[in-house]
Amino acid sequence: MNDPSRIYRWLLLVASLVTIIYLVSAAVHENYLAQWKTVQREYLTILQQKATDDRGRELLAKFRVEMKQASIPALGTVDRCVTCHNGIDDPRMTDVPQPHRTHPGHILDKHPVDRFGCTVCHHGQGAALTFNEAKAEDVFWDYPLLPPNMTEATCVTCHDAEKLPPDQIPLLVVGMKLYQEKSCGSCHKLGGRGGTLGPALDNEGAKSKHQLIMTNLKPPHTTWSWQNAHFRDPGGVVPGSLMRNPTVTRPETLALTVYMLSQWKRDVPESYLAPDKIEQKYRALHPTPLTGEQVYRQYCTACHGNGAYTRWDKKFNRFIPAIRGVSLVSTASRDYLQANIEQGRPGTQMPAWGPHAGGLLPEEITGVIEYLRSGATAAAPAPALTLHGDAGNGLSLFLRNCAGCHGMNGRGGMAPEIGNPVFQQAAPDEFIIRTIRNGRVGTAMPAFQRPDAPALGDQDIADVLAYLRTLDSHRGQKAIAQNTVTAAPSGGKP
Amino acid sequence: MAETATQEFLHNLHELPHTVKDACFRLGKTPESEREESQATFHNLFLHIHSVRVHLRTLKPTLTFGLGLMATASFVITLITGVLLMVYYKPSTDLAYQSIKDIHFTVSTGRFIRNIHRWSAQLMVLTVLLHMARVFFTASYKKPREFNWLVGLGLLVITLALSFTGYLLPWDQLAYWAITIGSNIANSPRELTDAIGMTKLFDPGGLQKRLLLGANYVGQDALIRFYVLHVFILPLALVTMLGVHFWRIRKDGGLAKPEDPPGGLAEWGGEKRLVFQPLATKTYGLMALVKGKRPPVNRGPENTVMSWPHLFWAELSVFMVTVAGTLVLSFYSDAPLKELANPAIPENPAKAPWYFLGIQELVSYSAFTGGLLIPVIVVVGLALIPFLDRRPGGEGTWFGTSRERSIFWQSLFFAVAVTVGMLAFTVNHGWLRNWFPNIHQLWIIAINPGSLLVLIFAAWSLFTLKRNDSVRLAAVSLFTCFLVGFTLLTYFATVHRGPNWHFYWWPSQWPVH
Repeated sequence: MNDPSRIYRWLLLVASLVTIIYLVSAAVHENYLAQWKTVQREYLTILQQKATDDRGRELLAKFRVEMKQASIPALGTVDRCVTCHNGIDDPRMTDVPQPHRTHPGHILDKHPVDRFGCTVCHHGQGAALTFNEAKAEDVFWDYPLLPPNMTEATCVTCHDAEKLPPDQIPLLVVGMKLYQEKSCGSCHKLGGRGGTLGPALDNEGAKSKHQLIMTNLKPPHTTWSWQNAHFRDPGGVVPGSLMRNPTVTRPETLALTVYMLSQWKRDVPESYLAPDKIEQKYRALHPTPLTGEQVYRQYCTACHGNGAYTRWDKKFNRFIPAIRGVSLVSTASRDYLQANIEQGRPGTQMPAWGPHAGGLLPEEITGVIEYLRSGATAAAPAPALTLHGDAGNGLSLFLRNCAGCHGMNGRGGMAPEIGNPVFQQAAPDEFIIRTIRNGRVGTAMPAFQRPDAPALGDQDIADVLAYLRTLDSHRGQKAIAQNTVTAAPSGGKP
Repeated sequence: MAETATQEFLHNLHELPHTVKDACFRLGKTPESEREESQATFHNLFLHIHSVRVHLRTLKPTLTFGLGLMATASFVITLITGVLLMVYYKPSTDLAYQSIKDIHFTVSTGRFIRNIHRWSAQLMVLTVLLHMARVFFTASYKKPREFNWLVGLGLLVITLALSFTGYLLPWDQLAYWAITIGSNIANSPRELTDAIGMTKLFDPGGLQKRLLLGANYVGQDALIRFYVLHVFILPLALVTMLGVHFWRIRKDGGLAKPEDPPGGLAEWGGEKRLVFQPLATKTYGLMALVKGKRPPVNRGPENTVMSWPHLFWAELSVFMVTVAGTLVLSFYSDAPLKELANPAIPENPAKAPWYFLGIQELVSYSAFTGGLLIPVIVVVGLALIPFLDRRPGGEGTWFGTSRERSIFWQSLFFAVAVTVGMLAFTVNHGWLRNWFPNIHQLWIIAINPGSLLVLIFAAWSLFTLKRNDSVRLAAVSLFTCFLVGFTLLTYFATVHRGPNWHFYWWPSQWPVH
């Protein structure tokens, strides 16, 4: 009879051989052939070539092939980059290939590796011991290695960008300027100041790629490739985005990207902060007011342009009024403008800009009102209208003449919502009367009482006004609630 | 021969290597006679759980494919590598992830050891499931092995629990969200209690979840609980039950096999051998009080060979094959480690470990039905098999009784058709909530693709019972349906479910997010 266990003995032999082969291979592969050991052996030969003086011979004698790391508990990092970048602080290593080369510039003079590590500036996976995993673009790591030209984004972790030499942070300087020029603050909050149409950008740089929509982006899927592409074509990267194309050149895109990457409220011990950074933090708590014009340029321009013309906005599907236009400024009172700026216009895309909303200081709001009114002569005293209005007749007049644009009950349509409480409270009678009489130049609002052919008499206007005033009380609290609801989508969309 | 004490001492010192060797290896040499081979077996704690002689059938590779042994071997491998990992692992939410990274990057061959741990754990789940299927299809649960079937079922549950608890420990995104899903499955009775409005009075789902996590969310308390379960309680329970499992195999007469005709001729290996006639009135068993079957002392040498060395060669080779397979897998494929756990960035899709994905698919229809009701029905159903199918026959043979094989294939095709059809229908047409948005949740708990599948399978099994007049065949059809359902749902949820649990043909079509 055949030996019943013959097959098993063969199986055992083969399995044992495979086991031994793979155990030995793994041991060799994980230890002797480890990438960093190869690199260090290479570095050792470089050291030998360069050991021409006493200092060189001493460094050679001290060199051991071993894992090296900068462990910095204060920053919560363990950076093993120096295991391969052995020559990073050796000034002789300028002519050798990477990864052995000296760190460029004089940055390490003030930022020694053993105090700062590497990843606090460069990002990447500091714990890794292979280049691919340290670079971390294709591995599971939230913050891959920043490209060299974008590394300046992290300087502001500890420095005030305005106090750094501009030639050290060329892109960041441009990015900061563009952020103000392009009036990004009209829609985005930064440091508590700005609009609410877009997301706040305070921690934009801390985002990982998983927080951004990469669907329409070609690899590599990094946050900076997203930012880059997004600045060139927001709607193409995030479908349905309301963001206006900022119309920037390629270098400007890069600058804005770096500025975004620099937005990271990273918690760093105070001992690491430059004195100017501490001052900057203090200043942020006690801001100096901007002038009216500065405020206008940074926080109003994106929607209102230079304010001289009314324009139809396709994305918002409504008119954006010419707030510096003669017609408005000559009609609207200071209080009316102030209420509209501080509380916003519910039902429109205009957010509230008061200190607790958009973050503008009272002085700045006064300043911006001055600036708005600077372009035109202010309103002359209103002619009195003492007639008593009949709301019933006003309703039928409203339906015939106004509801087409202002909507039933003044709910708003292509024209502003005149039933909303902020308008009702802020707009004095004379403002409404004057607007109905004279219309609003540069908008679709016609003058209803032209000298040549008066469409509405004084009594009619008084009736309409009486009707308009009923809208407020009619709607009451419910109206406010509805307004909040209708206002939400405009602020909520990306 | 008078010796002084000094001489004796020196002599003993000289003999030390031999005496130590003799003390450790009491036989002192390779066994040569069958008597010595018997001694080698029963004088050793680890070997004496085997009988001295083993039936030739047991050695036939295609009878068991060594699946149970492979599961045991994987467990031993996870145990050894697990202890090594324990040396470096720190069960704290602040340190866990970094300690895994350190194991990966700086511990010498740490990456490899972790890969082995991971792969052998996966292999263990797989082989335990296959082992169960083998035992079922060879009818090896029948009397007197009912209890061991139950023990085996317990081992399956512990194996899944071990794997599940280990999933959280790396504290990466994969871990965090898989356990979040898992704990929400534990929370699933709340769907029922919510639907009938009694959650405020009695909330078994929330209780289960809090018991599992030690909190309402996955955090430090959950991590330490899972750690204690993973490295202490569950392995201890598993080792204990494994001991019982092995002991019962021996006590129940080794591997199940068909009865050789007493006094007749049994053919094996081309030879016909006489089977001894047992003497009903007389027992040679030393322990007459022990129930069950004895080593075949009353049968003589029919179709059996010595366990030493044949059985031990077989067992050792299966063990080494498992080790080799695990090593090869670990060499080429790294255990995953995603980004640090971040409650603010949900994984989408957040998927449970693969062996729970079938359940997760059912949970996506109804949390209570899929997460609790159906699993309980399945486990109870599996436990009942040996008590409902009690007619002897077919033991130790694949599809031993007549028509079994054809019933198996019929049920296979039936279950594949039904499951695929149900999934296709659900994907294309949605379910009650899509058609009647305001329907009461109780309707969905009662009627959903999962519960319908269970009902259809049960009906099919009853149909087989009626038509073939055989409990065994009904069990075969039901078990086959269960296997198919489990496999297909697991496959479907693994491959075809993407972000927001939407259907995709292939993961490469998922929107990148």
